[in-house]
Amino acid sequence: MVGFTSTSFAQEGNPDEGKTLFRNYCATCHSKDMKKNLTGPALGGVQERWSDWPLEDLYAWIRNSPALIASGHPKANEVYEQYNKVAMTAFPNLTDENIASLLSYIDLVVAGVPGDGGPKDPDGPVVEKKGVSKWIYAGLLGFLAMLALVLARVIGNLNVIAAKKENPDALIERKSILDILTSKGLIGFVLFALIILGGYTTVNNAVSLGRQQGYAPEQPIKFSHATHAGLNKIDCQYCHDGARRSKHSVIPATNTCMNCHRAINYGSEHGTAEITKIYASVGFDPINNKYIENYDDMPESEVEALYKSWMVKANKEFNEKFADADEDDLNDLANDQWKELVDKLTNREKKTVKGPIEWVRIHNLPDHVYFNHAQHVSVGKVECQTCHGAVEEMEVVQQMSPLSMGWCINCHRQTEVNFEEEGYYSAYEDYHKELKAGDRLKVTVEDIGGLECQKCHY
Amino acid sequence: MKGKNQGVWIGEKDLTNDPSFIEISQQEFASLPEILGNEEAVEQVEGNRRDFLKMLGFGVGAAAMAASCDIPIKRAIPYTVKPDTIVPGVATYYASTYTNGSECESILVKTREGRPIKIEGNDLIGYGGTSARAQASVLSLYDTARYKNPMMNGGDSTWAEIDKKAIEVLASSNSVVLVTPSIFSPSLQKAIDAFTSKYNAKHVQYDTVSHSALLDATEKAFGLRAFPNYHFDKADVIVSFDADFLGNWGDSNKNSVDFISKRKIKTVSGAKMNRLYQVETHMSLTGSNADNRVLVKPSEQGAAIVALYNAVTGSSLPGGALNAKAKKAVSLMADDLKKASGKSLVVCGTNNEAEQMLVLAINNALGNIGNTMDMSDALMTFKGDDKAMMQLMNQMNSGSVDTIVLMDVNPAYDFSAGGKFSAALGKVKNKLAIAYSNNESVDGAMITAPSSHYLESWGDAQPNPSKYMLQQPAINTIFDTRQDAETLLTWAGVDYGGDIMNFVSNVFAENAFQNQSSSSNLKRYWETALHDGFVSVNTTSGASGFSGSASASGITKPVGGDGIELKIFEGALGNGANTNNPWLMEMPDPITRTSWGNYLAIPVEFDGFRKMISMNGLKDGDLVNVTVNGDKITVPVVQQFGQAPGTAALALGYGRTVAGACAQGVGVDMNPFVGMDASGNRSYSVSNIEISKKVGKEKDYSSVQYHHTYGVTDTDKATGKEINADEAALVTFDYGMGVQGYQGALKNRSVMYYSSLEELGESVAELKKRREHAQHLNDAQIYGGHDYKYNNGHHWGMHVDLTSCTGCSACTVACMAENNVPVVGKTEVARHHEMTWLRIDRYYYGELENPNTVYQPMMCQHCDNAPCENVCPVNATNHSSEGLNQMTYNRCVGTRYCANNCPYKVRRFNWLDYTTADIFPGNQPTLNGENTPFGADNLTRMVLNPDVTVRSRGVIEKCSFCVQRIQSGKLTAKLEGRKLRDSDVKTACQTACPTGAITFGDMNNKGGNLDSKLKNPLNFIVLEEVNVRSSVQYQMRVNNRNEKLDA
Repeated sequence: MVGFTSTSFAQEGNPDEGKTLFRNYCATCHSKDMKKNLTGPALGGVQERWSDWPLEDLYAWIRNSPALIASGHPKANEVYEQYNKVAMTAFPNLTDENIASLLSYIDLVVAGVPGDGGPKDPDGPVVEKKGVSKWIYAGLLGFLAMLALVLARVIGNLNVIAAKKENPDALIERKSILDILTSKGLIGFVLFALIILGGYTTVNNAVSLGRQQGYAPEQPIKFSHATHAGLNKIDCQYCHDGARRSKHSVIPATNTCMNCHRAINYGSEHGTAEITKIYASVGFDPINNKYIENYDDMPESEVEALYKSWMVKANKEFNEKFADADEDDLNDLANDQWKELVDKLTNREKKTVKGPIEWVRIHNLPDHVYFNHAQHVSVGKVECQTCHGAVEEMEVVQQMSPLSMGWCINCHRQTEVNFEEEGYYSAYEDYHKELKAGDRLKVTVEDIGGLECQKCHY
Repeated sequence: MKGKNQGVWIGEKDLTNDPSFIEISQQEFASLPEILGNEEAVEQVEGNRRDFLKMLGFGVGAAAMAASCDIPIKRAIPYTVKPDTIVPGVATYYASTYTNGSECESILVKTREGRPIKIEGNDLIGYGGTSARAQASVLSLYDTARYKNPMMNGGDSTWAEIDKKAIEVLASSNSVVLVTPSIFSPSLQKAIDAFTSKYNAKHVQYDTVSHSALLDATEKAFGLRAFPNYHFDKADVIVSFDADFLGNWGDSNKNSVDFISKRKIKTVSGAKMNRLYQVETHMSLTGSNADNRVLVKPSEQGAAIVALYNAVTGSSLPGGALNAKAKKAVSLMADDLKKASGKSLVVCGTNNEAEQMLVLAINNALGNIGNTMDMSDALMTFKGDDKAMMQLMNQMNSGSVDTIVLMDVNPAYDFSAGGKFSAALGKVKNKLAIAYSNNESVDGAMITAPSSHYLESWGDAQPNPSKYMLQQPAINTIFDTRQDAETLLTWAGVDYGGDIMNFVSNVFAENAFQNQSSSSNLKRYWETALHDGFVSVNTTSGASGFSGSASASGITKPVGGDGIELKIFEGALGNGANTNNPWLMEMPDPITRTSWGNYLAIPVEFDGFRKMISMNGLKDGDLVNVTVNGDKITVPVVQQFGQAPGTAALALGYGRTVAGACAQGVGVDMNPFVGMDASGNRSYSVSNIEISKKVGKEKDYSSVQYHHTYGVTDTDKATGKEINADEAALVTFDYGMGVQGYQGALKNRSVMYYSSLEELGESVAELKKRREHAQHLNDAQIYGGHDYKYNNGHHWGMHVDLTSCTGCSACTVACMAENNVPVVGKTEVARHHEMTWLRIDRYYYGELENPNTVYQPMMCQHCDNAPCENVCPVNATNHSSEGLNQMTYNRCVGTRYCANNCPYKVRRFNWLDYTTADIFPGNQPTLNGENTPFGADNLTRMVLNPDVTVRSRGVIEKCSFCVQRIQSGKLTAKLEGRKLRDSDVKTACQTACPTGAITFGDMNNKGGNLDSKLKNPLNFIVLEEVNVRSSVQYQMRVNNRNEKLDA
C-alpha cells in the first residue's frame, strides 16, 4: 500500500481520456470487458494484483514491460512466464497522467459502467428512405393520371356540348374507350414511349453489365466487420496491411487472424463454429494451445477428430447454454458444426480444410484497369469509407460504390491534391506559381492528369 | 553524308530500288490477315440477307443470354501464413547469378507473388545490363518441355527409385565417365569431386562451341589453362581475328561495356575513340561494330595472323598467300598497333592452337600482356577440352566405358563429330542423364534425373578467381526436380544434411570467406554476398610470364582456287541450348535480320553501276542445295553485305530433332560439318563446298529486313525524278500547263546520321544546318507545336546513343518480357506480323561490298504532334499531359488508321489471338506446329507481367515508354514525399542495355541524366522535318575508320 501514499502517483485519472487510450493502445490484446484473458491478461483488478508492489512499478510495467522484465522484477517475470514469454509492446510516450486515466477507465468498466457500446444503432436499421419517396412518386403519378382522365372527360363533354350548340340536330356519338385506345395518336404515343423507355433501359443495363454494386455474397466464414472494425475498433489497415504500400489492400492471411484468435477462441455470435475454421485452415491445436507440426501431412481423420473434440470442449466450457448439456447433444452439435466447416472450407478444387480460406472477392475491377491502393490511401489520404462505405457497420460486406469509370473520374475531378508540401509535386512549377499569385485556388487530380487514359489503363 | 538517305541502306533491294520492296514499303500492313483452317472453303462461303438476319438474331439472343447470366464468382485466396518478404502487388528482387553453359552474369530477379517474371542487370558489379539470353532465361523456367519428374527407362519414377538404381549401376561399373560443360561453380566442383572419387570416375568438360585451342595455347605460354582476361577498356587499337567478343566470345557482356566505354563522345573537339579492326569471313556482331573490316576466307586466317606477326616483330615466318587487300590492311594494322604498344590488343577466335600462340606472341611483342590482357585474374568459364572428348568417343567405341553420366550437356548434337558421337553413345551400357529437358543425347537414357532451373537453385559461380557470385532460388521448384549438385552428392553417397543451401554456404566459407579480409563475421559476410549477389575475393594466380614460342607450322593453310569455303559460326542464339526459347527464336538476328531458322549467308558484289550481283543470281529466301563434304543440305539464302567473296556462312544451333516444340526441326543442324584439325581441336570451316542454283523458295521467309521501313525513295518513271516512296497516300497531281508533281514530296529525310571521327566537326556542322532547315520547315507550318503544355510537371523523353549500340538485342527481349509482347511464329513473321514494340533497324553505309553497320533501336517516338492521334475515330490513342502517346486497348476498335499514319511504323496490330486471351481456339496461331498454342497453358502464362494488360485480338499496341514503370516510380517518390529522381524511372530497354546506349527520363528535370545527354551536339531527331515533334533523340553514329585501308 506504499504506492497509494506516494504523492506523484496519486492522481485522479480522466476516464474519458482513458477510454481513448485503451482503444488506441490496449484493445488489440486486452479484452474490452476487462474480465477475460486474451493475448494479454484481463485488466480488471490489475491494481489489486500489483498491490504488493509500489505503484511506480505498475506504471513502469505499463509503460515499458520489457525493461521491467529485464530488470529482474519478480512480479513482472511471473506474468511474463505466465503468458508464454510474450512481452507487451512498450509505450514510452505514455505519461503518468495517461496511465492514471487508463487505470481509472479500467476501474469504471469493472465497476459495471457500460463499456464501449460501439456504433451499433439502438433503433435498428433505418427504414429505406428511397422506398418512401417512391411511393409518394407513384401516388403523385396516379393522381396526375386520374386528373388527366378527368380533364379528358371534361374536354370530351365540352366538345359534345359545343358541337350540339352548333348543330343541335346532329347525332353526336361520343368516342368510346375503344375508339380512344385504338386512335392513331395514342398508339403512336405509346409506341414512341416504349421505344424511348426500352432504349433507355437497354443502354443503362448494357452500361452496367458486369457491375455489381450492392453485391454481398456469403463468405466461407461469417466474418463480421461490425464486430471487428465497429465494436472492437480494429484499424482497417491492421488486417488489410497492403493498402498503404501496395496496389492490393490484401485479404489478410490466416496468421493475421491468429494474432488475436489464438486467445479469443469462442465468439459472441457464432461460438466456436466460425473461429474453428481459422484453426482448421492454419493448423492450430486450441486444446493444447500450440500449432500442429507438419499439419499438411496430418491425416484428415485426425484433423476431424481434433477439431470435433475441441468443439465439444469449447461449447461446454464457454457457453452457459451447454454447461449442463449431455455428451450426445454436444457431439451432435459438433458434428453439425464440423459438416458446415468442411462445406465452407472445401470446394471442387480444394478437397481439404487445410490451407488458405477461399474468400469470395467482392470488389472486382476489369483486367484492363490498374488501381493502386497505396496511391489513394497513403498519398491521397483517402479514407477507406469513401469508396467502401461504412464497412464497420456491415455484418456482411457489400460493395457500396459502383466502381464504374464515371464514378472514378468524378472523384478525380473533384478531389484536391495537397500541393502545399515541398516534395514530389514541386515538379509542377507553374501550378505553384499560380497558387502563390492567387490565380489558382486549388489543384485537382484532373489538373495533374488524373483523367488521362494511361493513368489507369496500360 | 552523301547520296541516298544520307548514304545508308537496309539491304540489296533498298539499294537497287527493287519494285517489290517499293511496293511493300508503301503499305503499313504488307500482308492481309490469315484465314485459319481451310482457306478455300472460307472464301467460297456466300452470305445473303437471310443468313445475316439469322446471325444477327443469334448474336442478339446470345448477348441477352450472356447478360442475364450470373456474374461468375471470383475468389480471393490469401496466404495461410504470409511470408514477411512478400507483399502481394509489390515486386521483390533477389540478387542471383545467371549461368548457362559458359555464360555467367550477375543479375537481379524480379518476382511478383513468388513468381520470377523479369531479369535485370546487377549494377553493383560495376555495370548494369544483361545479355539477350539472360533476359530470355526467365521464360525457360516456364518451359512446357522441361522434365517434370524423375524417369527410368522412359517411364515416370521417383527419386528414391532412381537414386537406388543409379547407385547400384554406378557401383557395379568398371569405368564411369561424367560429361559436363565447363564447371566454374565451386560447390558443383566439390560435388563432382566427391562423385568422381567415389566411383573413380573420369570427368570430361567441353564447351558447345570450342575454345580449346586458345586454352591449350595459354597452358603452354603461361602454364595455366584458362581464358585470358582481356581489358578492352584499356586498349586504343584492337585487332580481332574472327573473335566475336561482343557477341559470343569470352565474357561478351563485360567486353561490350569495356569496348564501348572507349567510344563515348560528349564533345566534338578533342573527341577520342578506340579503333577496332576485324579480320573475318562473315559479318559477326563484332564485325558489324568494327571500324574497319578485313575480308579473308577462313583458310586465309592463318596467313593473316602470320603476316601481322611478321609485320609487328619483323620476323619472316612462312604464312602462305593472302588476298591483296588483306595483305595491305595487315601492314597498316601493324603500324597502328605498334604506335599503341602496351595500349593495344590482338584477339583471335579461330580454334587453332598455332594461330592462338602467334596471337599471344604478337601481344607479348606489343607489350600488351599485363596491360590490356592478363592471366592473373583469368576467365574460368571456358575449360572445354576437345581432345578429351575425342578420346572419350574412342573409348566408348571400343566398349571400355560402362556408364556415362551426361550432366547438362547434349554432345550428340553439339559435339556431333559428323554424327559419330551419337553412334558411340549407343555403345555405352548405361546412360544416366541429369538434364533440364529432353535432347538428342539424353533421349532414351536409363535414368533421367531432372535438373532444376537456375532460378530454383542454390549455387555459386566463380567466373574469375576474384569474383565469387552466389545464386539463390527465386521460386520453389515448380516440378519434382532437383539441382545438379544434390543429385551428384546423393549418388556419391555424401551426406550434405539434406539442405543444399548449407552445402553451398559451407563451400562459400571455405573458398570466399577464407580469402578475404573485409569481414570477420561469416554470417554477415554470407548475407552481404547474398544481398549483393557477389563478393570480391583475394586471389593468387597460378600463371607465370609468357614463355610461348611462335611457329607457323600448325596454322591453317590457304586452300586457294575457286572453291567456295563455308564458315560455321555461333549466332545470337548460341549452339542449341536456347533454341526452345520462343523469345530468342523470334528475336531477329542483328545482322541478317532473320528469325526462326538459319540462313546461308552469301556475298554480294557490286557491278560498278547500280546493281548488286550475288552468287548464282540468288535472292533472299531462295532455297539452294549445299553440298558439304559430300552431304547435301537444303537451306534458304540471305544476301549478306560484307561476306568475303568466295565464301558462305551458316549459323550453329538450329535443326534440333529432339527438343521442345518450338525448336523441333527449325533450320538445319551444322554441327555434323564441324571438323577436327590436326592438333585435335574442332574447326569451324569447310572448304570446297558446292552451292546449287535456286531450287525453290522458302515458304515463310521470316526475315524482318524489309518490314516497317520508312524514308524510302524511288525514281518516278514518268519524270525520272527522285520521289518519296513511303506512303500509299502519295498522290500525283497534274494541274495542266506542266504543273504536276507529288504531294508529300520530302525526299531527303533524316533517318540516320553517321560520321567518321576525322570528319566529326564538318558532320556536326552539316547536321546543325539540316536541323535548322527542318525547324524552319516546321515553323512555317500551320500546325504549331504544343510545347507550352509540357513545361509543367513531367515531360518524358529518351536519348539513344547510336555509337554505343552494338545491336545485341537485349533491349528487344527485355521489352517483350516487361510488356507481355506476344511471339507470333515463323509464318506470321513472314507476313510482317511480328509484334515487337522495339525493333532494331540495321543500316549499312560506306563501301558497298564491305560496308560499315549502324544499329538504330526504333520504338514509338511519343511525338508531341502525333499524326496517329488525330486519325483515331474513337480516341483510343491520345496524348497525356506528360508527353506520352497513350494507347488504350479497351477503347481500340482496330481501324488501324493510326498505324497507317505513323511515319516511324512502330504500331503493331493483333491480327490473331497471339496471347491466347479469347475463347475461340481457332483464332490462335501456333508457333511451330505444336499441339497447344504458345502461352495457352498456365505454366507459360506465369511469366506475364501482372501490371501490363494482355492484349486481345483486334487491337493496336506499341511502346508505352514502360508507363507502368513511370507510374510506379512516381508513386515511390510520392510515398517518400520527395522529388522524382532519375533512378526512380528506368525503362526495360534502358536497364537491359549493357553499354548504356539508352537513357530515359524527364526532359523537364533540368540537370538530370537525360537533360545533360540532350545537350549533345551530335543529337538528331528522326524525321525532324515532318513536324511530329518526337520525344526521342538519337546521337549520331561515329566510327574511327582508318581511311588508309580504303586508298
